Amino acid sequence: MYPAPFRYHRAGSVAEAIRMLGDIGEGARALAGGQSLLVLLKVRFDEPTDLVDLARIPDLDTIDQGNGEIRIGALTTHASIARSELSTAIPIVGDCANGIADNQVRSRGTIGGNVCSGDPSCDWPTLLATLDAQVHCEGPDGKRAVPVTEFVEDLYATVLGQGEIVTGISFPTPAVGSAGAYVGFKRCAPAYPTSSVGLQLALNGDDCEDVRIALGSSGLTSIHATDAEAELRGKTLTDDVIAKAAEAAAAQAEPIEDQRGSEDFKRSLIDTLVKRGVGVARRRCAGETVEVSHEYY
Amino acid sequence: MSWVGKSLRRKEDDRLVRGHGLFTDDELGEGMLHLYILRSPYAHARINSIDTSAAEALPGVACVLTGKDVLEHCDPYMQLGPGPTAEILDYSLARDKALYQGEPVAAVAAETPQLAMDAGQLIDVDYDMLDAVMDVETALENEILVHDNIGTNQTWNGVYEYGDVDQAFADAAHVVKIDRLHFHRYSSTPLENNACVAEWTRHGEVEFLCNNNFAGFAKQLLAPGLRLPIEKIRVRTFDVGGAFGNKIWNYVYMALCALASKKTGGRRVKWSEIRTEHLLASGHGNERTYLDTEVALDGDGVITAIRSRHLDDCGAYTRYEPLGCVIFSQVLAATYKLRNIRIEMTQAVTNKCPVVPNRGYSRMQQLWFMERVVDICAHELGIPADEMRLKNYITDFPYETPNGCVYDSGDYPKMLDMAKELVEWDKWVAYRDEARAAGRHVGIGIGTTLDSGTNNFGQAQIMNPYLPFSGNAEACIIRLDFDGAVVVTLGTGPSGQGHETSASQVVADELNIDPAMVTVRSGFDTNWNTFVGHSGSYASQFAVTGLSAVHGACQKLKAEMRQLAAFMLEASEEDLVLGVGDEGPELRVKGTDKFVNYWAMSNIVNNNNAVLQGELPDVTLNVRHVYRPPFKVPDVEKKFGNLTLTYAAQLHIAVVEIDPATSRVEIKAYAAVDDCGTVINPQIAHGQVHGATVHGIGAAIMESFDYDETGNLLTSTFSDYCPITSVNTPDIAYGNIETPSPFSYNGAKGMGEGGGAPVHTMSAAVQDALHGAGVIVTDSFTSPPRVFDMIRNPNRETAVSVDSR
Ligand SMILES: Cc1cc2nc3c(=O)[nH]c(=O)nc-3n(C[C@H](O)[C@H](O)[C@H](O)COP(=O)(O)OP(=O)(O)OC[C@H]3O[C@@H](n4cnc5c(N)ncnc54)[C@H](O)[C@@H]3O)c2cc1C
Repeated sequence: MYPAPFRYHRAGSVAEAIRMLGDIGEGARALAGGQSLLVLLKVRFDEPTDLVDLARIPDLDTIDQGNGEIRIGALTTHASIARSELSTAIPIVGDCANGIADNQVRSRGTIGGNVCSGDPSCDWPTLLATLDAQVHCEGPDGKRAVPVTEFVEDLYATVLGQGEIVTGISFPTPAVGSAGAYVGFKRCAPAYPTSSVGLQLALNGDDCEDVRIALGSSGLTSIHATDAEAELRGKTLTDDVIAKAAEAAAAQAEPIEDQRGSEDFKRSLIDTLVKRGVGVARRRCAGETVEVSHEYY
Repeated sequence: MSWVGKSLRRKEDDRLVRGHGLFTDDELGEGMLHLYILRSPYAHARINSIDTSAAEALPGVACVLTGKDVLEHCDPYMQLGPGPTAEILDYSLARDKALYQGEPVAAVAAETPQLAMDAGQLIDVDYDMLDAVMDVETALENEILVHDNIGTNQTWNGVYEYGDVDQAFADAAHVVKIDRLHFHRYSSTPLENNACVAEWTRHGEVEFLCNNNFAGFAKQLLAPGLRLPIEKIRVRTFDVGGAFGNKIWNYVYMALCALASKKTGGRRVKWSEIRTEHLLASGHGNERTYLDTEVALDGDGVITAIRSRHLDDCGAYTRYEPLGCVIFSQVLAATYKLRNIRIEMTQAVTNKCPVVPNRGYSRMQQLWFMERVVDICAHELGIPADEMRLKNYITDFPYETPNGCVYDSGDYPKMLDMAKELVEWDKWVAYRDEARAAGRHVGIGIGTTLDSGTNNFGQAQIMNPYLPFSGNAEACIIRLDFDGAVVVTLGTGPSGQGHETSASQVVADELNIDPAMVTVRSGFDTNWNTFVGHSGSYASQFAVTGLSAVHGACQKLKAEMRQLAAFMLEASEEDLVLGVGDEGPELRVKGTDKFVNYWAMSNIVNNNNAVLQGELPDVTLNVRHVYRPPFKVPDVEKKFGNLTLTYAAQLHIAVVEIDPATSRVEIKAYAAVDDCGTVINPQIAHGQVHGATVHGIGAAIMESFDYDETGNLLTSTFSDYCPITSVNTPDIAYGNIETPSPFSYNGAKGMGEGGGAPVHTMSAAVQDALHGAGVIVTDSFTSPPRVFDMIRNPNRETAVSVDSR
């Protein structure tokens, strides 16, 4: 349970972090909350020569709204997002932040680190895909913004280049009258979800004007459930329509059998979670306050 | 006033909640070395060579151990099994073959744990992977051998036959056949992992600080293993963060630390297990398969006979095994009165982690089997589960079972009544029936469980007639210290059960003082001389063995104090009363102001003995008592005899609703009624029941050690092997009845294991919910993915058949 030896550096600014990571090269890793990275280091699945600690970089832990978008700094912890006004204003954000692991992990883990882990079981990439978010990166070649669905390229792999870090994420402020839900099925709090679904609906009465659905723990990366969206978009939400969408999401998922369950089991969960998500999102669209949490064993 | 029976706050908690507990890993010391263990990545592999040169060259590495060192310095651990099983060679490190994933292959002692791990990674082991044998039935075909030298994988076979089974089947009104049942692998995963500090002193003694919970046994294995006389080995424990039987076998690691210390000139060596090591290689619970079960019943649904074949998978080594092949027979027919039984028990080794005793050890596998039988018969014959039990429960006590065990006392129908009331039975039956009519899956399950406590070690002879064990014993020393303080030393080696508290309650009652005036020494130390061969905390025995030893020691101390006080006060012994006066604990001449306090008595014996003028030479105020339960050696041929002294019981009821959308088994209500005879400390007893219940629910729905066919453990972290948490725990309605045991001085029965009560209860509830959907619960693990499969593949057609005449 001890990492291989490494050198520790503390970056004072984004520029310094980029320089440090670039100078050291291959063997360097950025360190944020450590809740994914240190776990890997302790079992020596990864043996970096250097860690560049981002945690003290000022102003990367803020949540701002304006110009039709919401920006969350990369170093904002799950816990502070859970406690923020944002979580009240846009409940789907709170659904996600509150459902990640336990208190200890939430108070250390950051949204930036979560996205950078490239782990399909991590909740933020799925939630952010639901909200059509951009990931803001900064590196030796300057700044760029990448849609979250492209940012995570493959299992545990992101588009980040050498010396490049994530400074924050942003997503368009959901339209008035639209609402979403993020629901998962989990064994217990400190375990990753078996399956999760993020769903954002824009309704006109019972008619679905727009929808975005993303599936977590359902493939090598989060899956944008376009087929399910197509079943709903422009349609009146009836049980039948919703059932078709749920079926389409389950079919588009690419779950992998593991200790959390078989492929079939996970597909059936996705079916369930889509229905559940639609139910909650509809009520929220109608202005109801609905507390949801993941379902646990 | 009586302190026994009161919820006295636990004495231990004062240090524990302040963070002042001393667990083995807390032990620090100048110059201590740290051990890292390199483990086999393969379940079955030939070890061609091990190159340790790079590791040895790393600065800070003190020594590297491999199978060669073990062969040079150690002898294989004593085997309990008979015949070829006795020839199994078990050492602390693999020699020419690794037999399970995680088996220790090499070890490094270095200046820091980090360095030790660095060096461990530099060891180069050349393996040839071999096919692994991963289930007991394949193992019994003997095509792949785990231990080549014994020529077989079978480690034990025996038939337990009582009554006239064939006649009972010939006379039966119904014969229910159950194709196959399976009890899954899990363990109790104590909060504190295994840990040990060892020092091979320059006097040639080995001192251990560890968390082994059966030190008396460990010492007897370690000494020959390390080629030392027993008195050269000192084993100490202090605070232990749970053991549940799992830590009985960690002598294997203790020896490695000792060997590293020996090779480094006597430096202290610490090893502290990490969780993945614990899950991979520290000992799992017994996995059992039950084949060709046939049940004979009369026209009223009374079970008259059972025959069946049980196959136990004990993993790669027989550590403590094949004892499980006898231990189960303590509860052969569970709480039921049938007298005709034929069970063939066979055990085999496989390329999995060795099994070790685990909370409810080997009995819960049998109890689960019997409860499955009862519920399956009930459902198939259309008899409600509660009625089925009432028809079949044993009701007269003491009750001698067909195999000679004596159930001391109990009242299962009363427990059932109480559990029904607590759970609100009628309400839930109505709810279930309504829900069913609406097509929902609601079930109510009953689990009746025995927690047999205080082993008669003579049962080991049923397993191997040559073993020199029988009976049981526990020791206690009580003395008045120089200042008159009452100091109690136990041999029980507690691991969180509150022995310091319960023991002080007993002493307080005996001496008529306050428990706060009693000091019970924490931990365990073989140098204390309170240790006998059976000493330890296992097999639900403390309330009987531990407290009987305390009680016996109190009688001896009181007798001495009376003699001495009578001499000092020139009074007669009969006139003396024990109690607490202005000057502390005392003996007083009844109704007078003549008294002597404990300090004065102790001072005379220890510092001022000329006053005695040679009188009372035997009075030392330092007495030792060894309690021995009244056991006989069982009849080995007939497999007949009293195997345990007391039989605590649990009756649990679970109400579950299965969510068709997620296959989650939601527990809507849960009741746990316990009977452990006279309760010493209700709060501690309640805590034990609660803990055992939560463990069992976790086992039923969350926890399973799963291997793939090549022998990779798929659940080797807490992300994959998900132990139950508070989020998953239902409210538990707790009830208690007391049927005092006639066989213990205090009426108490050992308790705390709870025999896996929720495992059978949950299986029963899930079956009740799904029987209408054509499902028979044939596996003890009922997690949502499993339930999902059960619903989609109803098995009733093939799993069970009923032949009625
Ligand atoms: C017991 C446990 C349970 C968990 N359960 C869940 C769960 O249910 N759901 C869930 O979503 N997560 C879960 N997590 C993971 C947790 O959410 C982590 O916080 C998160 O995945 C990583 O964030 P971090 O700040 O801790 O990043 P770190 O661990 O510090 O870093 C993770 C990776 O991202 C890189 N990185 C971090 N920040 C940046 C940056 N700004 N720019 C570039 N690269 C960066 C690091 O180099 C590293 O590769 C769990 C973790 C634990 C320990």
